[in-house]
Amino acid sequence: MQRSSIAFFWITAFLSVVFVAIQFVRPELDNPPVTADLQAPPQVKQILRTSCYNCHSNETRLSWFDEPVPAYWMVARDVREAREHLNFSKIGKLPAGQQRAALFESVSQIELGAMPLPAYKRVHPESEITPEQLAVLKKYLSLATPSEATGAPEASAADLQYEKWMQTGSSTPEVAAAPNGIAFMPDYKNWRAISSTERFDNHTMREILGNDVAVKAIAENHINPWPDGTSFAKVAWYQQPDDKGVVRTGAFFQVEFMVRDSKKYAGTLGWGWARWRGADLQPYGKDKNFTSECVGCHNPLRNTNYVFTEPIRGQQ
Amino acid sequence: MKPATKALYVLCIFFALSMLGCSSDGPKVSAEINHSASLAGELVEALPRNPLQWKVITSEINQTDSTMSTMYGNDVAVECARTHSQHDYPAGAVLSLVTWTQWEDPRWFGARIPANVKSVEFVAIRTGPDGRPWYSYEKYEGTPLKKLSNQEGLNPNERAADLLSQRAAVMP
Repeated sequence: MQRSSIAFFWITAFLSVVFVAIQFVRPELDNPPVTADLQAPPQVKQILRTSCYNCHSNETRLSWFDEPVPAYWMVARDVREAREHLNFSKIGKLPAGQQRAALFESVSQIELGAMPLPAYKRVHPESEITPEQLAVLKKYLSLATPSEATGAPEASAADLQYEKWMQTGSSTPEVAAAPNGIAFMPDYKNWRAISSTERFDNHTMREILGNDVAVKAIAENHINPWPDGTSFAKVAWYQQPDDKGVVRTGAFFQVEFMVRDSKKYAGTLGWGWARWRGADLQPYGKDKNFTSECVGCHNPLRNTNYVFTEPIRGQQ
Repeated sequence: MKPATKALYVLCIFFALSMLGCSSDGPKVSAEINHSASLAGELVEALPRNPLQWKVITSEINQTDSTMSTMYGNDVAVECARTHSQHDYPAGAVLSLVTWTQWEDPRWFGARIPANVKSVEFVAIRTGPDGRPWYSYEKYEGTPLKKLSNQEGLNPNERAADLLSQRAAVMP
């Protein structure tokens, strides 16, 4: 036998043994009971079952080619992450507003081509959501959205909030930092507006404000990536229709920040994330891992440096 | 190629195939300025000031017309709007309402965003010849924006009064 053939034999044998051995390292991936399955019309349910339930429910069915390690390791990890983010087998436990928000976010992720995961779609072509199916989901959500927000503060509450704010004026109260250490930036209200949004999914309206670095970047068309030092604030209010049918800004709902520092925040897409809710500015999130929610939602936008806003120009 | 090397290649390819989950496609949006909604260039040459350079006072949505507006103010106006619930603007205050048509946000199902600039309005308060406040109202429309109306007097016209009556959005 030639030397190279011998080497070939031993390398193959060694790798085969390794391959067989790692098959026994199998993280658990079971299907816990379905406790509060999504309630939706059959047509909608069918689409979600075919395209989403394999990862986003407790009814995971693996294909034969998902079983061998290392593919299995990735599948198990993906399913675990998917269920943590959105689990249709438990979604019924959430308040109606949160369920709707999850579904709207899902449709956005599908539309952006982020879901089902492209790699998953390649090996599971039946999971691809067709434009017709997407239209079915959108129509269902549009009709299922009540015309007014549930849980929105009454106009009188918004009035009280406004009166209180008038009295405290520009003196900023003590505000606790976000759990990831980002301090509140009271000057956000003096930044320039770079866009606005009407959100019919949750009956809020928003202004997106940018600091000087952001404004300069827009003027110079330097927005992919945005330069370090860029900060955005997205301010949200409840919609409050007046007696002429014009929707006004009602009670302040929240302000969210994105702070660009490609090195410091390398672990969270190069952005620092923070959110304060309510007029008393309570920091959002139990611990610093709250940012996984931000990252999960912004992650599909890697072509726009993870920014949803398409900025308007003219601030300089 | 030696058989051993070949075997390594084959195994590597097999391994790579089983790791398909690591590669991914790009999303379907690209980083762009929202040019049609911008207040820049030729479009705004006729404007006395570009309100986008000012701070935000509040915003509104007209669902019947499918338009959305943001109200801006110069420093005098913003200072007053954020601290006086009567918002009795002093001389020197200028407010501006920019109105856009809307379209669906391609990046978020459930959102509408500015599409095209529809109009820009200004309300300015000066001290009149007799020391009393003097109100002027201007409206610009079209592409490029052209002055459509210009009214001034001791009292604000109906539209100007409406804009002056809007309270600031709460920004704690």
